[in-house]
Amino acid sequence: MLQVTGLRKEYSTVVAVENVSLTVNRGEIFGLIGPNGAGKTTTIRMILNIITPDQGSVFIDGKPYSEQTRNIVGYLPEERGLYRKNKVIHTIIYFATLRGVPVQEARRRAYEWLKRFELLEKAEGKVEELSKGNQQKVQFINSIIHDPQLVILDEPFSGLDPVNQILLKDILMELKDAGKAIIFSTHVMEQAEKLCEKICLINRGNVILDGRLQDVKKRFGNNSVHIEYTGDGAFLSSLPNVKRAMLYENYAELELSDDAPTGELVRALSQRLELRKFELVEPSLHSIFLSMVGGDTVAPKEVKQ
Amino acid sequence: MISKTFMVARWEYIEKIKSKIFIFSVVIMPLITVVFSIVPSLLAMKEDTESRTIGIIDQSGQVTEDLKFSLEERYKLKSGKPNYTLLPIEYNGDVDYSKKYADKLIIGEQIEGCLIVTNNIMSDTVFEYRSQNVGNIKLTERLNRSLREVIIDKKLRNKGLDPSIANILKTSTDIKGIKLTKDGKESEAGFGDVLITSYAFMMMMFFLLITSGQLLVRSMLEEKSNRVVEMLLSSCSSSELMSGKILGLSLLGLTQMTLWVLMGIVAAIKLGTIPIALDHTMIIIVYFVLGYLFYSAIFVAIGAPISTEQEAQLVTSLLTLFLLVPILFAFPVLESPNSAYAKVLSFIPLTTPTMMALRIPIQMPPVWELVATSVVLLLSALGMMWAAGKIFRTTILLTGKRPGLKELIQIVKAG
Repeated sequence: MLQVTGLRKEYSTVVAVENVSLTVNRGEIFGLIGPNGAGKTTTIRMILNIITPDQGSVFIDGKPYSEQTRNIVGYLPEERGLYRKNKVIHTIIYFATLRGVPVQEARRRAYEWLKRFELLEKAEGKVEELSKGNQQKVQFINSIIHDPQLVILDEPFSGLDPVNQILLKDILMELKDAGKAIIFSTHVMEQAEKLCEKICLINRGNVILDGRLQDVKKRFGNNSVHIEYTGDGAFLSSLPNVKRAMLYENYAELELSDDAPTGELVRALSQRLELRKFELVEPSLHSIFLSMVGGDTVAPKEVKQ
Repeated sequence: MISKTFMVARWEYIEKIKSKIFIFSVVIMPLITVVFSIVPSLLAMKEDTESRTIGIIDQSGQVTEDLKFSLEERYKLKSGKPNYTLLPIEYNGDVDYSKKYADKLIIGEQIEGCLIVTNNIMSDTVFEYRSQNVGNIKLTERLNRSLREVIIDKKLRNKGLDPSIANILKTSTDIKGIKLTKDGKESEAGFGDVLITSYAFMMMMFFLLITSGQLLVRSMLEEKSNRVVEMLLSSCSSSELMSGKILGLSLLGLTQMTLWVLMGIVAAIKLGTIPIALDHTMIIIVYFVLGYLFYSAIFVAIGAPISTEQEAQLVTSLLTLFLLVPILFAFPVLESPNSAYAKVLSFIPLTTPTMMALRIPIQMPPVWELVATSVVLLLSALGMMWAAGKIFRTTILLTGKRPGLKELIQIVKAG
């Protein structure tokens, strides 16, 4: 559905995106992850043809960008992206018609979606009167009202309460089952982990990790350990063979160095703590993210003059 | 392609027509026009309702009686009483003393002013008129006219001329303005009518361009700060977005103009006169459309890179200054609508619309000039649109520091 090769975008002083390639298929939720300022938004803008890349190409459905492409792509920008002073129903219809949906049909679909999101009684109100969560829902409706084949969602869950998070998740799964290609950009790794089959980790304008989530996890090996215990776990991070430790109250996630003997670790732990659970698990996306990006976030590369 | 431009235009039109700023300007602008153009000219033409007393210090001792007679006979109030009465101020050879006395009366508002006639009326030509208000042109003009007649009369008699011949020589004249149109028709439009019409047209043009320009800058700023522009640009191309905006807002401007013309016609019918000629309105609408395209392109080019409200205000007020230039020239142009600077300003695209709106009701410029200024304006509008398109595409996503003029020129060059 979407094929992106060798994208590059340079601004006067910084390289926002250096080299990004990715492929997204129909019926797939694709996680675009990375720290703030990594180049996610710039990449998305180039995919949407809002800005022109300096290098590289974007193919949608095997074709380069054309006027027709706009009508089959849906986009939810990270924040706001809504007219504030206008009526909810009018803004939805406007964006729908702008992507080729006839007015009557747009109105019908708008009411359908508003009903599903329990916003029917707000349809005639102004956007600015809505709560942040409700605005997010309206924005989501805007991005899918024209039944796009490729949907790009930038932090779609932000501002939603747990009930609506589930509702949105269900809709995303429906879209996926209906064969749409979905790009899901987030820095909340737990969400990406639950939803995405494939991920692409971008840092400093480059792809530093990509592939099927399972494969990625396998590549990082089974060297993560979750433990539950009673006692003071402060010493855990200084143990030999422990590369990284995430400590919670009576719970910890440890990342071990490769080929660390787990038996020894169990013995060392049980000497100092009352161990209730010891589990060897796949690394979480969260810990993969941290080990790949580490403290080394933000700051796009300076252009060498 | 065209349909998306149309969608944007329709949205801009329908949503803006409901906005407060639009409704406000539709109602407020005619009021301001009335206040600024009709009221001053009405006040200038307004007849006095009470006699005004004017002091006179007559050093020659020969003028007072005749001047009193001349003023009181010629200028009468509606009630039949004389408009001006002369009050002789005592003169004992010390003119400064008399002046001080007169000044007291003037400041005490017992007399309107005081005319000082010198001793030597046969050779002096300049006479002093002291008053708190020397801006009353009508009064000084009448006073001057009567004084001149009296003095001429004295001079003629002095030379031994027969009083009856002197009377013939004194006969004064009045000018009644008959406005001739190109096809030779007469219309009895006075100076005031023409002033009102051209002022009204110019103010109308000015307000239309300013309101639409502000709406345009505001709408870009809003979309930019809301990130709506990303939604829009993922749905249509930047040129569709820009042309849609301009189209929608110029339709809005036309609606506004139509409403005003209708208001004007209603007002004219109520007042019993129709100062606005239809053919003038049609030509002015052409200038409005072209001027609108030109100005909106400028507003886009300067407004797209802006990301704060303060900058938006600065930019719109700067452009307002250009539109105001013809207002500065309004009076000289009224006096000689074919003067060189009137022509020069008509050919500068920034001032063409308002200048032509001002000139057309006074005297229809020659056809070649109408055609030439329209063509210059049209070409400038097209060129500006082209440049604005490039600037819009590059800068509409920018936030933060506004690019300077140099950078904007680079953007246009790089395309």
